[in-house]
Amino acid sequence: MKKSALFAIIAVFVALVVVACGTPAAPPAVVQTSAPVIQTQIVEKVQTGAPVVQTQVVEKVQTVVVEATAAPAAKEKVLRINLGSYPDIVDPQKSSFVNEIAHLNLIYEGLTKFNEKLETVPGAAESWKYNDKATELTFQLRPGLKYSDGSLLNAARYKYSLMRNIDPHTAGEYAAITDEIAGAPEWRGADLSTISDEDLAKLQATVSESVAALDASGQPCKEGADGYAQEDCLTLKLTLSRPAPYFHTIMGIWVSYPAKQENIEAGGDIWWTSPKYQIGNGPFILKNMEPFVRARFEPNANYWGDKAKVPIEYAYITDSAVAFQAYKNNEFDIIGLAAEDLETVKADATLSKEANIYPGSCTFAVMFHQKKEPFTDQKVREAFAMALDRDGWVKDVLRGLGAPTLTWIPPGYPGYKASDSWGFDPDAAKKAIADSTYGSVDKLPEITDTFSDTPRNRTRNEWLVSKWKEVLGVDVKLNPVESTTYTALTKDQATAPQMFILGWCADYPDQQNWLSVYWKTGGFGERIAYSNPDFDKLVDEADQTVDPAKRADLYQQAQDLLIKGAPVAFMWNNVNSYLVKPWVTGLQLTPQDAGWAGAQVPTSIDIDASKMPSQ
Amino acid sequence: MARFLIRRLLWLIPVMFVVAIITFVLMHMAPGGPFDKDPSQRQVDAVTQKALNAQFGLDKEEWLDFAALSKGDIVGFFDTQFFTYMIGGTVKGQWRCGFICGNLGLSFRQRGLTVQDIVLKPPEGKAPWDSKAGYSLRLGLLALFFAMLIGVPLGVVSALRQNTPVDYASLFIATSGVTVPNFVFGIFLIIIFAVFLHAVPVVPTSWDSPLVWILPTIVLGFGLLAQTARLTRASMLEVMRQDYIRTARAKGLGERVVVWRHMLKNALIPVVTIMGPALAGLITGSFIIETMFAFPGWGRQFVTAIQQRDYSMILATTLIFALLIQIANMTVDLIYTFLDPRIKVN
Repeated sequence: MKKSALFAIIAVFVALVVVACGTPAAPPAVVQTSAPVIQTQIVEKVQTGAPVVQTQVVEKVQTVVVEATAAPAAKEKVLRINLGSYPDIVDPQKSSFVNEIAHLNLIYEGLTKFNEKLETVPGAAESWKYNDKATELTFQLRPGLKYSDGSLLNAARYKYSLMRNIDPHTAGEYAAITDEIAGAPEWRGADLSTISDEDLAKLQATVSESVAALDASGQPCKEGADGYAQEDCLTLKLTLSRPAPYFHTIMGIWVSYPAKQENIEAGGDIWWTSPKYQIGNGPFILKNMEPFVRARFEPNANYWGDKAKVPIEYAYITDSAVAFQAYKNNEFDIIGLAAEDLETVKADATLSKEANIYPGSCTFAVMFHQKKEPFTDQKVREAFAMALDRDGWVKDVLRGLGAPTLTWIPPGYPGYKASDSWGFDPDAAKKAIADSTYGSVDKLPEITDTFSDTPRNRTRNEWLVSKWKEVLGVDVKLNPVESTTYTALTKDQATAPQMFILGWCADYPDQQNWLSVYWKTGGFGERIAYSNPDFDKLVDEADQTVDPAKRADLYQQAQDLLIKGAPVAFMWNNVNSYLVKPWVTGLQLTPQDAGWAGAQVPTSIDIDASKMPSQ
Repeated sequence: MARFLIRRLLWLIPVMFVVAIITFVLMHMAPGGPFDKDPSQRQVDAVTQKALNAQFGLDKEEWLDFAALSKGDIVGFFDTQFFTYMIGGTVKGQWRCGFICGNLGLSFRQRGLTVQDIVLKPPEGKAPWDSKAGYSLRLGLLALFFAMLIGVPLGVVSALRQNTPVDYASLFIATSGVTVPNFVFGIFLIIIFAVFLHAVPVVPTSWDSPLVWILPTIVLGFGLLAQTARLTRASMLEVMRQDYIRTARAKGLGERVVVWRHMLKNALIPVVTIMGPALAGLITGSFIIETMFAFPGWGRQFVTAIQQRDYSMILATTLIFALLIQIANMTVDLIYTFLDPRIKVN
């Protein structure tokens, strides 16, 4: 037993090692190159030698390629991106997460879209016009638009998508965003368990009139499949329940993306999982989608605009350490840069040049519940806001991945204006407490800081609490809760905590999304019981003003009013941070990038194969 | 034997029901629901929330509908969330059979997909073992073979060579296997084999080549390997000191025969005991392995479903795991009778 058992064990180990190291480094499956001769030479070089030598040989080959610059890399040109988590659902009228939108933005296109400066520019519609009061919005679609399978795309398709978004049976997460359409809130809010079929049909008919697909002579397009095949059905007229001169911007987001009705019906509830039903009009075609593993997108030759130059592959690694290793191993071209890896990246000469850190689309603030003591008193809110050193926060807690802010709308977005109200001022903070109805810190009731219990949030909130102790001398209790519980609590005014960090990220680049949607009475600010009738009046007027300059000024007045009342402590704007390989060219970075650097304008991206290492 | 099997199989039903009840209670005790997402995202408004609740049957009573009973509606009395899921109830107006018919419910998060689609159905055009359950099953079996193939001989050798360098080496392996967390071990192996040696890619592009299965198998199986080695060693040491071994040697049997025919079979009984539940645990997938290697298994679904409050997924996966563990224990009990004839099934 002694010798043979030992021998057997050693044999097993050796076998494992041989199997693991025997095959050379996994090259990509498809190798298409215009210079096969050079490719063969490189591959032959790599295959000789034992594993240790193999590494050295690879390095040698790399330097040879760089110096020569003549040999193109023996690799297929594809943009490999690690997106993060796999989407729950990729359906234009049901999706809401960034990773889901990252898929939709490639496959489809809306009536309008946003360029690299976040201006609303023509998409499928070549022009649009409001009536004088901005209660009617008419889109003129480009003639000859096609889906990726060659079939016709016209206004009837967009009518179907908008109707589907409002349809109560769809119950999409962003259904409320088209509530300006006349009849939409009523149809959307119909109680399906009690309403009669006739009443429901009436509500639907009202909306159908508000979303009118018209032909060249102004008559409604034909119904059903005939309508979809009608070539001159190129006008979409929207009737709005009140003036909304920003509505053309809303028509650029994913809720209007024209998924095909027949595909949705043929595929049923799971239509979105199959590339044969996800036929779109965007710059890319969904080639295949392997859940949790890969998704592949090919350029769409039938796209009306600038054709995409390279195919895109998404991977779904949620572990940032693994994604980072894979990036360094040249398995990804773009990944998200996690705060934990920032030090390593900054210290490395190559990686620091590949890091792209630029302003994002979100603002975060410490929310104070306006109806819970002591934050009912504005002076107390001011004091807590002025006790926070935002520069220190960005430097120490965010490790540089962020930017301090004292205002709501972030830089890069229309309506941004820097503010200096309620900034870090320890003396003023102490004075504000003295001026408040409580008079001094020991008269304040118990204050708790609630947050979702993750290691990152623990660090952040401990910092906040220590700052308030340091400057004001107040003891704030930390209250960590499980993450879904936290979301459930913060959703409702009655259960929302006294104080918690919350943010808002732009749905579309317009002040209306930041100010009216969030802070108007009944909007998202309702959770902390924020309600200011003067603010409501200003934004209502701004929402309905057609003149852009006057509109911008009204929104600015509203924002100034919001800041003056110190309802929350505006703290920081996020940054988009990505690592991008040097051979990825043509990136146009915008704050609204959904999921990866340059996502907003994907057609300009190309890969310079000569810069890639060949292995 | 047959009676034993039938009895054990019949016991499955009440056990599953109790597990379902406990899981259901705990699930609904946790605050928040499936539509409460990341706070920085736009939250569903009240109207949409109501429509979604109606669609998914969350507007029904949880256990028993007494309001329906007071109206004399016996069917309605049982048309509640729990019974709809387990046995059957009205879904979107139609009566649909529940868990006992193999309908594991609609996923609350991955809208449109049923749990059996997510977990048991392979992607288009692929074989049944390419489903999430299939992948986890394969990885679990591989990890078990790995652990047994190396752990048992290691334990045997270290018992036979007690207090020699071989014994100390196996002790080292066993201790590190039990103490080092598998996510540390995993990233360590990735860095060595993928980044330094370029033997495998960090992120496998396809799971068809057998090479990419090696690292996940090692990481998943290493803990069990360590346990098995220690257990085998301890068990062998005990058996080695038994009288019948001395008798066998006295009879003049060669050492190899003594070990193989007499020591091993008895020493393996404790190992077989842990093998059953260990296999069930391995098959149910590991969240960490799947996240780290982007492995398309079902362990990740189980863990994220809890945080997402995906009630159907939680119930379905818990019940499947309960079933697997019971079957594993049953199998282990049967194997005992072969290993030790003194043990009878009653």
